[in-house]
Amino acid sequence: MKARTKYLVVAGAIVLLAPIAATVYYETGGGTGCASCHEIQRSYDQWAGSTHRNLSCGSCHGDAFTLDPAFHLNNFQRLVGHLSGRISEPILLRQPDLPEMLARCQKCHRQEFADWQSGPHASTYSRIFLDRKHNASEALEDDCLRCHGMHFQGGIRDLVSPINTAGPWRLRAPELANLPAIPCLACHQIHAHGAPLPRPAIPAATPGPKQELFRPSLALFDRRNQLHFAVRLLPLPEMRDHDRPVKISPDPRQALCYQCHAPLATNQVGSGDDRTAIGVHEGLSCLACHLKHGQQTRASCATCHPRLSNCGLDVETMDTTFKNVKSPHNIHFVKCADCHPRGVPSKPGARRRALPFSEATFTRR
Amino acid sequence: MGLRKVNAVVVGAGAGGGIVAKELAQAGLSVVLLERGKWYTAFDCRKDDLRNQRNSTLGNAFGPDDERDPRVVVDPSGWERIVRGSDGEYQNNAACVGGGTLSYGAMAWRYMERDFRMRSAYGAVAGSTLEDWPISYGDLEPFYEKAEWEIGVSGDESGNPFKSPRRKPLPMPPLAPTREHLILKPAALRLGLHPFDIPMLRNSVPYGGRQPCMRCRWCVGFACEVDAKCGTHNTVIPKALATRNCELRTGAMTKGILTDERGRVTGVAYFDSDDRLQEQPADLVVVSGGAIESARLLLNSRSRLHPNGLGNRYDLVGRNLQGHTYAGANGLFGEVVYDDIGPGASIAICDYNHGNPDLVGGGLLANEFIRLPYQFVGHAPNNVPRWGKAHKDFMRHAYRRSIAIRGPAQEMPVFDSRVQADPVVKDYWGIPVARLSGGRHPHSIEVGNFLAAKAEAWLQEAGATYTWKSLPGPGLSAGQHQAGTCRMGKDPQTSVVDPYCRVHEHDNLFVVDASVHVTNGGFNPVLTIMAIAYHASAGLLRGWKGGGAQ
Amino acid sequence: MPVRLLVTNRAKTPRRKFLGLVATAAASAATISCGGSRRPWRFLSTDEALTLSAISERIIPTDQDAGAAAAGVVAYIDRQLNGPYRRFRKTYREGLLAIDNASAARFSRRFAELTAEQADQLLNELEGTKPRFFQLVVAHTMQGYYGDPRHGGNTDAVSWRMLGVPTVPIRGRWKYEKPPWA
Repeated sequence: MKARTKYLVVAGAIVLLAPIAATVYYETGGGTGCASCHEIQRSYDQWAGSTHRNLSCGSCHGDAFTLDPAFHLNNFQRLVGHLSGRISEPILLRQPDLPEMLARCQKCHRQEFADWQSGPHASTYSRIFLDRKHNASEALEDDCLRCHGMHFQGGIRDLVSPINTAGPWRLRAPELANLPAIPCLACHQIHAHGAPLPRPAIPAATPGPKQELFRPSLALFDRRNQLHFAVRLLPLPEMRDHDRPVKISPDPRQALCYQCHAPLATNQVGSGDDRTAIGVHEGLSCLACHLKHGQQTRASCATCHPRLSNCGLDVETMDTTFKNVKSPHNIHFVKCADCHPRGVPSKPGARRRALPFSEATFTRR
Repeated sequence: MGLRKVNAVVVGAGAGGGIVAKELAQAGLSVVLLERGKWYTAFDCRKDDLRNQRNSTLGNAFGPDDERDPRVVVDPSGWERIVRGSDGEYQNNAACVGGGTLSYGAMAWRYMERDFRMRSAYGAVAGSTLEDWPISYGDLEPFYEKAEWEIGVSGDESGNPFKSPRRKPLPMPPLAPTREHLILKPAALRLGLHPFDIPMLRNSVPYGGRQPCMRCRWCVGFACEVDAKCGTHNTVIPKALATRNCELRTGAMTKGILTDERGRVTGVAYFDSDDRLQEQPADLVVVSGGAIESARLLLNSRSRLHPNGLGNRYDLVGRNLQGHTYAGANGLFGEVVYDDIGPGASIAICDYNHGNPDLVGGGLLANEFIRLPYQFVGHAPNNVPRWGKAHKDFMRHAYRRSIAIRGPAQEMPVFDSRVQADPVVKDYWGIPVARLSGGRHPHSIEVGNFLAAKAEAWLQEAGATYTWKSLPGPGLSAGQHQAGTCRMGKDPQTSVVDPYCRVHEHDNLFVVDASVHVTNGGFNPVLTIMAIAYHASAGLLRGWKGGGAQ
Repeated sequence: MPVRLLVTNRAKTPRRKFLGLVATAAASAATISCGGSRRPWRFLSTDEALTLSAISERIIPTDQDAGAAAAGVVAYIDRQLNGPYRRFRKTYREGLLAIDNASAARFSRRFAELTAEQADQLLNELEGTKPRFFQLVVAHTMQGYYGDPRHGGNTDAVSWRMLGVPTVPIRGRWKYEKPPWA
């Protein structure tokens, strides 16, 4: 009995001290300590060649001073797993890690974070999954989680109850309610290979040749594989407008957009969630108009259009949104003939102005 | 042990059990549905091409567990060994809510009229227990229809002159044709064959409150992320639960069927999800564990009055284990034929199901589901080296340029192909495991070889520049199409259950799954299992006079 | 034999299991700096991994597309040897040693140092003399190369892209509310 108590005290002390000891060990030596456990080696190697190589492991993954007990418990479980040879590999971020990651991204990427936060992609679990209008018209299904809540570890039944069109619906984990369903890590791979970003860069107002088009971190978090796939690995679709092949900008970043704003298997423009532009805007990249993090589009018109359009209309006050069914100038498919049913009047001396960027800008790696 | 008595306990929540549970619950009976597996979501597999129901290289995605549920397999030379759930010889069908219907390819065939009277149509076959069913196609027709409309089937059989008569069309149109379909269809017509769109338990349009197929490449072997595949897990089982008369208990491994001192069935004993032994008293017991596990449960339900297990007075339980003898051919084409549009299987012919010269029965032929890259490795012809640059060149060249056609040859039942309760090996719960022995009837292989030749001819007509066959071997076949082990019949001395699936000597014990199939058709069996479940439920409810006293 | 194993599994209580884990942790806490080894493999030794990598590279050689080594086949196999393929550990340990021994006997070099021709020659012989191990490595190499990237191989879906299979295919869903232009 006495021996057992002693045994338990020792064990308890180890439980308490092991995470701290481990952290001290890991933190010395600039991360090489982390990598001495072989299951971390791969992540470490990726980090060492990544844009974030100047940040220490602890600044994103937490350290001895992290107050969250779950963090230490998780580390302890990993330690036990490591020592017993039953290691979970690859080590993945858990759902509870994600809110922590948001704050860490925000620390440096403030403008991007603010843009994202004010845009549609910062939508929360409750807004996405408890949307009455949606849920009453179609039942939620596992595939919803491919694009929203992609880090959620479970099926849709584990997230929302009940799964039917009658409702009322509730989140089975209420703590998720106000968390973003499309967090930074949905489209960014932190350990992606690339050079660190020079600090004093002043972001250009609109995408142009001077702005960096292609951050190395752009990658899809593929829920099925629980892995990121870099944008350069993702396909761009061969879209069709009925039988006519549609011209698509070769901007590789769009491959990320197409994963969720995807056409049906028929690749027809406008099918499924597709938003490929046809008509006067055909061939423009999604990102020519949709500013990256916030998705704000209104200001982008001015990139190409003079304040007043060729027709004398103020394009910035036109209703161009796809959300308005009745809009005659939906920007994704407005054609010249929509406004000029009897043919476009010629304008003497009018020349097509060069766009401020060209297709050559988007050479695929 | 204190569990409240219910009207019916159904063992196994697969194709048969799910339907019986729903029919009884809707009729007002109190039902407990026991399932040894879990209720999986698509997240449990996430389209893992090495760990799914069709490819269990790294384990089973939908049960059973590799460690807990072994079986013993005896090969024709008498050599016996213990196999794990993910081994091919295990003859696995899934162990989960929905059973095979969670992850199947979902072909929804009605058997043909002649499939129910094989013995009358073809006469006796030496070495086979080939027999007629005690019910006809006409008896099942209304129940096929009910299955098609309640679970949901898409397709178009109008091009099939051999189809059995039906009163009502299929509820959904077929999916749009794939590139393979458009290549194979004219070729079949040129050969004088009758191609048509395979009926599938898969939504092609919104149906039953669920979405249509999004046409991904991971279909057979995987749970559907958009719930377009119609199984019992997303149709009848939720309906059964919604009546509030049915309780589903998962992780419940049934140990045996309980009988009283007079031999009357009184319920079941099972290990619950915490491995505690429970006794569930019931007025009726319905066994729907699949042909191997149902037979095993009857054989393991021994008592003084039933020393050889229930329904086994004449040593018939577990006999005639059969599946399908799959055979076919592969063709290599000059141009790319792969279009990445799932599910893949799309076009079929029934020209060779019956009336083949000198052959008993036959089977359908259909193009294959999409073969994922690793799966395709095993599809190389024999003259391609198994490794090295030549193999890589083959993969790179052939993957998107090949079409495969396969068909399930109707098997000749063999008396000694059987399931027994193993006298030595026990599972995690201490229950004797299934012991499988026997092999295919040589004629089944002949029929398979015939189908392979026909498949090859179809591919050649379609323009294949090189073709090769995939031929069946002599080993036991059961797998996902396992059937036959509790044969249906009128004579208690030659069959285990009556035409309504009631075990002959017991008025309150039923076997409702493919175990009761006398013969297994030249078709995927699931729609027939479903029809039989509706048919048996109707018979059961007609005879139901209310529950006995507590 | 497996029967008994199943029974022992059963007898283990969660409490005992926990104490066992704590004991393991305690025993190893002192050596928490398991460092020094710095090998990326869990089961394989660095030498074994080199040999296995060289074998897999002959099974799926590099040409215009990446071969087995670059696709991470060794990472796949090593990870499975710590998972469902635990049962093949002994086979690998002995098999890889035998191949290196055969290579040393024939060419006085380790297998990883052989030329492609020498390696193929040796493997062709092995296919006849040690068919079980060789076929196992062929199968596992194919799995690591053509299988799902989540299991550690097929890095960046290199084989799927080689075959022309869109990786992370683009698939939209049918919508109840269709946009006006569809």
